[in-house]
Amino acid sequence: MKILVVDDERDVEALFRQKFRKEIRNEGLELLFAFSGKEALEILEKNNPPQVASVFSDINMPGMSGLEMLDIIKDRFPQLRVNMISAYGDADNYRKAMRSGARGFYTKPVDFESLRREIGEILRS
Amino acid sequence: MILINLISLSLLYYLKKSSGAQEFPERLHRYFKYGMIAAGVLIALGISNAPPEILFELLSFVLVGAVIYLMLNTPELVYLKTLAITPLPIVGVKLLEYLVRTISPAIFEIVENYLDAAGVFAFIWAVTMWLNHRKQMKEIEIERIITKEQERQLRQTEEQKSQLELLVAERTSEILSQKEELQHALDHLRATQEQLIQQEKLASLGQLTAGIAHEIKNPLNFVNNFSELSADFLHEISEEMPKIPDSPEKENILDLLENIKSNLAKIRHHGSRADSIVRSMLMHSRGGTGTMDPTDLNALIREYSNLAFHGMRANPNPINVDIQLSLDENLPKIKLNSEDFSRVILNLVKNAFDAMREKLSAKNPEYKAKVEIRTRDLGDKVLIEVEDNGPGVPDQIRDKLLMPFFTTKKGTEGTGLGLSITHDIIKSHEGTLEIKSEEGKFTCFSILLPKSTE
Repeated sequence: MKILVVDDERDVEALFRQKFRKEIRNEGLELLFAFSGKEALEILEKNNPPQVASVFSDINMPGMSGLEMLDIIKDRFPQLRVNMISAYGDADNYRKAMRSGARGFYTKPVDFESLRREIGEILRS
Repeated sequence: MILINLISLSLLYYLKKSSGAQEFPERLHRYFKYGMIAAGVLIALGISNAPPEILFELLSFVLVGAVIYLMLNTPELVYLKTLAITPLPIVGVKLLEYLVRTISPAIFEIVENYLDAAGVFAFIWAVTMWLNHRKQMKEIEIERIITKEQERQLRQTEEQKSQLELLVAERTSEILSQKEELQHALDHLRATQEQLIQQEKLASLGQLTAGIAHEIKNPLNFVNNFSELSADFLHEISEEMPKIPDSPEKENILDLLENIKSNLAKIRHHGSRADSIVRSMLMHSRGGTGTMDPTDLNALIREYSNLAFHGMRANPNPINVDIQLSLDENLPKIKLNSEDFSRVILNLVKNAFDAMREKLSAKNPEYKAKVEIRTRDLGDKVLIEVEDNGPGVPDQIRDKLLMPFFTTKKGTEGTGLGLSITHDIIKSHEGTLEIKSEEGKFTCFSILLPKSTE
C-alpha cells in the first residue's frame, strides 16, 4: 500500500519514516516522497491508474502550490484520495481545498495521532 | 454830571453782562449791583437838580473812580484794562472842569474853551480806546474759541486713544488665546504624527512578525516533532534494555540515555515555548477574521475571568486572589467577536495575576491580592474596567506597555505580546484602552467600547 507525501521540506521524509516506522515494518505501508508538485505528478503518472492509495500534500510550496496540484490530480485521477496539510490554519485555504475535492485537511504542527488513524484506515481498506 | 454817571452805569452794566462767560466771583456781582443802583440814584438826582449839587457831583466822581479802580486792581478784570482807561480822559476833563468851577468860577470862564477842546479830545480818545477794546475783545474771543476747539480736539484724541488702547488690548488677548489654541493644536498634531509614525512602524513590524513567525514555524515543528519522536524511541529502547544482560557498559549506556531523555524533555519544553510565542505573533498580525455577534458581555467576563483564575491555579506559582465582579446587570448585548474579546479578558486578568504575584513575593503579610472587574452602561458606550491592587505601573513605562515584545516579566515568563494583542483586539472593536495606575497601589485598565459597531 503506497502513500505519497508531498512537501518541499526534505526532513519531512525522515520524520514520516520514523513516525510510521511500525506501520512500514509490520503493516506493509510504503511511503513515497516528492519535494514539489511537479515531482509528485511525475510519480503519479508513471502508472495509470496510479499505484498510490493516497496523497498527503503541503499547500505552501515554491513553484506549484499544493492547491494547484490538487486541481490537476482531481482532473486526471478523480478517484485518488488527497489530503492537504497547511501551515496556516486559515479558513480560506480550507474552503478552497474542500471545494477542490480534498478528502481531509490537516494543520501544522500535524497531529500525528489523527494522521495515524487516517493511514490505518487506508491500510485496512 | 449825568454823563459821568452814565459812564459808571454802562461800565457796570458791561461788566455784569460779560460775567456770563468769565464767571466772576459773587463779591464782584455784589459790587456791580450796588454800583448800578448808586449810579441810577445819582442820575435821578442829577436830572432833578436836587441840592446839594456839589456833593452829588463829587459822589459821581467817586463812583466812577471806584469803578475804574476796581477794574484796574481786580485780577479777574485785568483783561478789561483798555476798557477801564477808555473813559479816563473824559472823567479827568470833567473832574478838572468841576474842580475849577467849584473852586474859582472866574478862572473857569477863562479856561472853559480849553476845557471844551480837551473834552473833544477826551471823547476822541474814548472812541479810539473803545474801538481798540472791541478789537481786543474779539481777539480774546477768537483765541478762546480756538483754545476751546483745541481742547475739544485734544479730548477727542484722548478718547480715541483710550478706545484704541482698549481695542488693542482686546485684540492682543484674542491673539494670545489664539496663539495658545494654535500651540495646543500643534502639540496635538505633533503627538498624532508621532502616534502615526509609531503605528506605521508597528504595522510594518506586524507584517515582519507574521513573516518571521511563518518562517520559524516550520523548522520549529521539526524540532518539536523530532524531539518527540526521539523521546518515543528512547521509551522503546528502555523497554528493550532489560533484555540485555547487566554489565558496567550497560550501566553507562542507561545513564547516558537518562541524560538524553532529560535533554529531549528540555528541547520539547523550550520548543513549545517558542511555538506559543510564534502562535501569539501570528494571532497578533492576523487580520480581523471572525464575526461580530451580539454577545452577553457580563457572561463572557464571568466565564473567562473564572477560566483565567483556574488556569493560574493549575500552573506553577499559584496565588490566592480575591476576584470581585461588579457587573452592570442592565448591560445590553454588545456586538463582539467573542473569540477575540475573550482573549482581552484573559490577558488582562492574567496580567493582573502576574503583577500581584510580584507584589506577593515581596512578602508583605498585610497584602491581600484583589482583582475587581466592573462593567457599566454609559449610554452610547460600555465601560469595562479591570483593576488590581498590585505594584502599579511606573509612569516612564506606561506608554511602552502596549508595544509588542515589551515585557517587565523576568526571563522566560512573558512574550511581551499579551497587552499588545489586547490593544489590537480592542482597536478592531473600535474601542479604546486606557491605563491608570499609581505605583504601589493599583493598576486599572479601562476599556471603552461603542455599543453598536454595525
